Amino acid sequence: MGQFVQFAINGLMAGAIYALIAVGIVSVYKATKVVNFAHGYLIMFGAYFYFTFAVIVPGQPWAPTWLASWQPAWMIEMKGDLPMFSPVAAVLDWVANLPRILLGLAGALVCNAILGRIIERVLMRPLMGQSIFAMIMVTVGLISILSGAAQLIWTADAASVPYIAPNMPIRFELFGTMIFLFGTDLVNMFVALLLFGGIVAFVKFTKGGIAIRATAEDQSTAYSMGISVPKVFSRAWVLASTTGAIAGAILATRNGISPSLGLFGFSVLAIVLMGGLDSYVGVLIAAMVVGVLEAMTQWKMGGGWAEIVPYVTVLVVLVWRPHGLMGQKEVERI
Amino acid sequence: MTMNRRSFLATTAAATAITGTPMILRAQPKEYVLGASLPLTGPFATAGQLVAPAFAMAAKLFNDEGGIAGTPIRFVTEDSGYVPQNALNNYQRALASEGKNMIGYFADSTGAMKLIAPELKGENARIMGSTSFASELADPATHPYQYLSGPTYQSQFDILLQNIKNEGGQKVAFIFSNTEFGRDPIEHGRKRAEELGLEVVLEESTKAEGADIPTHVTKLAQSGADHCILQGYVTGVWPQLIGGARQFGLPVKFKGTFWGMEKLIADRITAEAGPFLAGYEGVMPYRYFYDREDAPRYQQYAELSKAMFAGTPLENYMSTWAIQTMCGLEIAMKAFRDTAEAGQELTADNIAENLAGISDWDSGGFFGGPVSMENNAIGTGRVYGYNPEDGLFTPKSDWFTV
Repeated sequence: MGQFVQFAINGLMAGAIYALIAVGIVSVYKATKVVNFAHGYLIMFGAYFYFTFAVIVPGQPWAPTWLASWQPAWMIEMKGDLPMFSPVAAVLDWVANLPRILLGLAGALVCNAILGRIIERVLMRPLMGQSIFAMIMVTVGLISILSGAAQLIWTADAASVPYIAPNMPIRFELFGTMIFLFGTDLVNMFVALLLFGGIVAFVKFTKGGIAIRATAEDQSTAYSMGISVPKVFSRAWVLASTTGAIAGAILATRNGISPSLGLFGFSVLAIVLMGGLDSYVGVLIAAMVVGVLEAMTQWKMGGGWAEIVPYVTVLVVLVWRPHGLMGQKEVERI
Repeated sequence: MTMNRRSFLATTAAATAITGTPMILRAQPKEYVLGASLPLTGPFATAGQLVAPAFAMAAKLFNDEGGIAGTPIRFVTEDSGYVPQNALNNYQRALASEGKNMIGYFADSTGAMKLIAPELKGENARIMGSTSFASELADPATHPYQYLSGPTYQSQFDILLQNIKNEGGQKVAFIFSNTEFGRDPIEHGRKRAEELGLEVVLEESTKAEGADIPTHVTKLAQSGADHCILQGYVTGVWPQLIGGARQFGLPVKFKGTFWGMEKLIADRITAEAGPFLAGYEGVMPYRYFYDREDAPRYQQYAELSKAMFAGTPLENYMSTWAIQTMCGLEIAMKAFRDTAEAGQELTADNIAENLAGISDWDSGGFFGGPVSMENNAIGTGRVYGYNPEDGLFTPKSDWFTV
């Protein structure tokens, strides 16, 4: 039982990250009906912006030393001879890195928001009123542009970034089994779920959110009701880009920085389809189910199966409910 | 003069003799070409971009030495994006444009080697090296024109398992990426471990990128392994797995194979996340670049690097990945030169025969001593360990030959 709980938690932690990635795809789809195939690459840019502001900028000769590593006397004294992975040492390491972590997150958020805005303004808005298919194809083309641009700017070098939260080991006994968790993964999960909840609340309860929902229902009616549809488009892209920036930063702390981060978007697309392209709650459930299924399959059947079983489940769900778990069924009136 | 049947035949024979002689002379081209596909983009672009400059250096070095019996050699490199089909397309294009002048090709993956292998027939056959150490390729019966520039992954596992046995290890875990590269030596390793009396307590496959580290580390913790061999990773996953295990307080000793043994990656991880790679060991077929006291060829490389790559990180350090490529090119050049010196035409069959016959070759310091080609591979290597304090991998065993 203890082991079951261990793998279930591991799965939930992975699922929360999937959900945070998926929320961007759903936001853009809800507002514009465009499935953004390039979302993974927006996330990759978020990761690289985090890397730029948390690693490259603090490492410059002109940057103040406290930015790279804030080491006041009390901290050096406290660290003393602490073992490397003791909880206190992990927290102190995190505090030392805090200035650059905050700079990294702020930089990633701002830069990715600008990037999202540029994409919407330059590539998507001119296509408003055209076929949705054309807009989707633009996102496919965007994959090559973003992937190539990232390698031009940052090269293909792999690199590491500082953890967003203290990465102390957490151990406790449950049903006679020692449970191991990484502190940073738990925090990542809470950050992802908080952001997810915040976005759902925004869409449900704020004026801007209602505008997104109205536009998703019917663009022409939304226009006639005085809603600025271009603004809604823009807001959705910025929302996707900023959540993508956080997702990118979290992914970078888990897997390191490399151009292959962009590929995550594709596996999450399957999760979005399973949940329902226009349903935040459906996508959250799907992300958690896939995360837990992956962990359980890895536990019981090994890695070969872990890459298949969850996606077979996605297919089964789609055969059963073609519009996803909680997606809106479209009725075409002729 | 009237043209009758006899005089026509005589004239034709004479004309053929005259025009045929230059044809033979033309068999000696103005330059030879060796084509290459490198992963300059895609998931292994880090490695590809570190390897690419080696070709520029090789061209300078080999041509300054007189090329192949006085004929210069030119390298033509193209990006594959680490997609085997792209490498095959590159190969076919190079073959079409360079024709017989192209006497060899260098591919960037096992997949590319296997995809191109069926093309190597008759007139289209070329000698092929690569970045791969795939065990399947080390078989002259099925892959007569392809060679490995070091030990197969299976041989690397043999070396590591023997080393673990020598250290008194009892329980071994294999963690590998769910790729051809990752799975290659697992079955063989299981058998070899059994022969050595080692118990394989975990065989865990992971994603090649973005693996679920907590889950894998949990399984490693539950397995009770005292040693863990990591296989099938380049820049990612292996450092995170080791970091995760250390955070959990696992005393497991980690060992890696060639692609997980690059100093540049270990240094970056140490700089960002602390010295948790202390004690990490792995098998390396070649000397590291800084260990060049007994490696005259490395000393030549060092001089060239200073001149050719001044102001770049390559000026002082050549990655193990680039060293592997240089070794592959050196082996090919030796086979080309041996073939030319024997007065043979540089056909794939002649070159392959000379390559297979490489025996007691003094490589100039790549390996611990003279080496021989066996089954188109060189089964030698030794265990190195990483020290985060000085950022160096240093020898932890003698050279093993398997």
